[in-house]
Amino acid sequence: MTVAATATPLLEARALSFHRQDEPVFAPLSFQLTAGELALVEGDNGSGKTTLLRILAGLLHVGGGELLWRGQPMQRDSCAGDILFLGHQLGLKADLTPRENLQIAAGLHGRHPAKTFASVLADIGLRGYEDEPIRRLSAGQKKRAALARLLLLPATLWLLDEPYANLDRVGISLVNRLLETHTAEGGAALVTSHGAVSFHGGEPRHIRMQA
Amino acid sequence: MIRPGLARACTAMLRRDLTLAWRRRGDIAMPVLYALIVTMLFPFALGPEDTLLQRIAGGVILVTVLLSMLLALDVLFSSDIEDGSLEQLVLAPQPLALMLGMKILAHWITTALPLIVATPLLAAMLHLPAAVIPVLLLALLLATPLLSLFGAVLVALTAGTRRSGMLLALMLLPLCVPAVIFAAGAVAAAQQGLPWLAPIVWLAAALVLAVALGPLACAAALRIALDA
Amino acid sequence: MSNWIPLWLHKLSSPPTFYRFAGTLLPWMMALALLLGAIGLYGGLVLAPPDYQQGDAYRIIFIHVPSAWMSMFIYGVMGVSAFIALVWRIKLAEVVAMESAPIGAAFTFITLVTGSLWGKPMWGTWWTWDARLTSELVLLFLYLGVIGLYHAFEDRRQGARAAAFLAIIGIINVPIVHYSVTWWNTLHQGSTVDIFGHSKIAWDMLWPLLTVTLATKFYYAASLFRRARTDLLALESGKEWVRQIAQREGKR
Repeated sequence: MTVAATATPLLEARALSFHRQDEPVFAPLSFQLTAGELALVEGDNGSGKTTLLRILAGLLHVGGGELLWRGQPMQRDSCAGDILFLGHQLGLKADLTPRENLQIAAGLHGRHPAKTFASVLADIGLRGYEDEPIRRLSAGQKKRAALARLLLLPATLWLLDEPYANLDRVGISLVNRLLETHTAEGGAALVTSHGAVSFHGGEPRHIRMQA
Repeated sequence: MIRPGLARACTAMLRRDLTLAWRRRGDIAMPVLYALIVTMLFPFALGPEDTLLQRIAGGVILVTVLLSMLLALDVLFSSDIEDGSLEQLVLAPQPLALMLGMKILAHWITTALPLIVATPLLAAMLHLPAAVIPVLLLALLLATPLLSLFGAVLVALTAGTRRSGMLLALMLLPLCVPAVIFAAGAVAAAQQGLPWLAPIVWLAAALVLAVALGPLACAAALRIALDA
Repeated sequence: MSNWIPLWLHKLSSPPTFYRFAGTLLPWMMALALLLGAIGLYGGLVLAPPDYQQGDAYRIIFIHVPSAWMSMFIYGVMGVSAFIALVWRIKLAEVVAMESAPIGAAFTFITLVTGSLWGKPMWGTWWTWDARLTSELVLLFLYLGVIGLYHAFEDRRQGARAAAFLAIIGIINVPIVHYSVTWWNTLHQGSTVDIFGHSKIAWDMLWPLLTVTLATKFYYAASLFRRARTDLLALESGKEWVRQIAQREGKR
């Protein structure tokens, strides 16, 4: 942890703000995230958690303040592909199978050379459903199919919006395990969640959102 | 880690959209069916005189194809927006314009190409002389990608709105005027035995420009539409 | 060298400054528009001699020609501010572009209506597929498209940016349409109707025309200012300066 603290933070927000119809969506926000760290974004409904993640992903324009990526002002070109975003909409085509969906994602983002589609899908708990169209899967299985991207695609920063939603107890511990491995390997993650998260890889940083 | 090259990303994109279209191949037939019905109505409305039908055949087919394509345009991005695939595409470390170009190509293959294949049938229904059909096909081969590209930019602009097909028609039709004029001009010239190369070359030139600029404009429009 | 122009523009582009600036100028612009309009129309409809070919029918040009010029001029203004709005994301530019569109559409509509009223006695038809007329019609559709797209969005600023993009596409489109219709006309008709065949115009007719044109410019400015002020109030309704204005108005 001490090594990480002295290094340049992976992601840094300085008085970050965002306006919708000129109304600030959340109070100016400052935080740092270093490699190997997990941050929990906390706040009530409508406090701007999803908006924050969409800004960090580069889907929304920064309203005010600064956003730094590895010490440099964040630019789409410099960080694209280093960031994985998982939103409310899972980004899965309902007519395709989990395997096909993964193949597309890998075609666009690239993939870890050591992992295969089959092994990733097995790890995420979709063994036997690899070639079933997404439309026939349950909500939790769809979520798992989307989470499989985290295992296969190379990225340093994960931005996960409500990753625990729709998951059963086993699924929740699966997400926790994914996060632990990711941070242990030097990755970082920003996670929004309503529920309490039991995370065993060190104390997560807390980002409190206020409307 | 392995970053995919442009060629691989392009094939992935193209394959995805073609597979999706294939899984719903019933939808591919709809624009063709629509064009057939519209073309069929003309002889009923105007009377079955060969000379009259021959004279209007080229124009009728062009306008019918344009309207059929307009019907199919609306869905270009809608499902990708609904399920979040478009966000993933925007965030992918690939040039967005190129990826959208692939999407437009896939859309052209699945909507315009079947229409072009059906065109000889439409032409026969209106008694268009067989000698003119190759020129008509050539004109359509150049004009339909133009419409796809224009349409894609406008659909991208309306991506963040409530669905409104009328708005799309209002925006697209003025942009189509030149393409229709040149395509119909070529067919009319061929029918009268005049040289028809000039309008075809103009169409080709416009297409080259549109292929270069359309995807870029589409990407810019999409970023505007998603930024909310 | 001198950077006071960009500085002044920068200051002006802040909504409260523009609101005050436009509020001061608005009555003057409107007064000038009414005055010049009255003078120009009096000159055109009463003082100018009848045309030796068309009699009094030509007098519609005192409405038609200024409207036609304005329909294009406003599109130009809209295009430039649309460009500024997209590149620098300046709120005022978005407002100017979006509030210009309905005024421009109105002028385009007037041009089309007066044109066909004039066309009936002159060439015996309400409408002909001439390049100029067709371009004007396409221009109307472009205006309507911009207005429609702007209102299709929930978020007004996002709608403004999308519509601004469409306006810029339209700028490229209009000359292409004009050219292609000209080409089309040579293919289909031996001779097209020559609308402005006698381009030499007498001074008696010219000065009212120019005066009315100036009046339409001032009218556009006044109308734009009025619309932009309303729009700015709505867009900035949460801001302090709007609250102050609301309190002032409320006390009255």
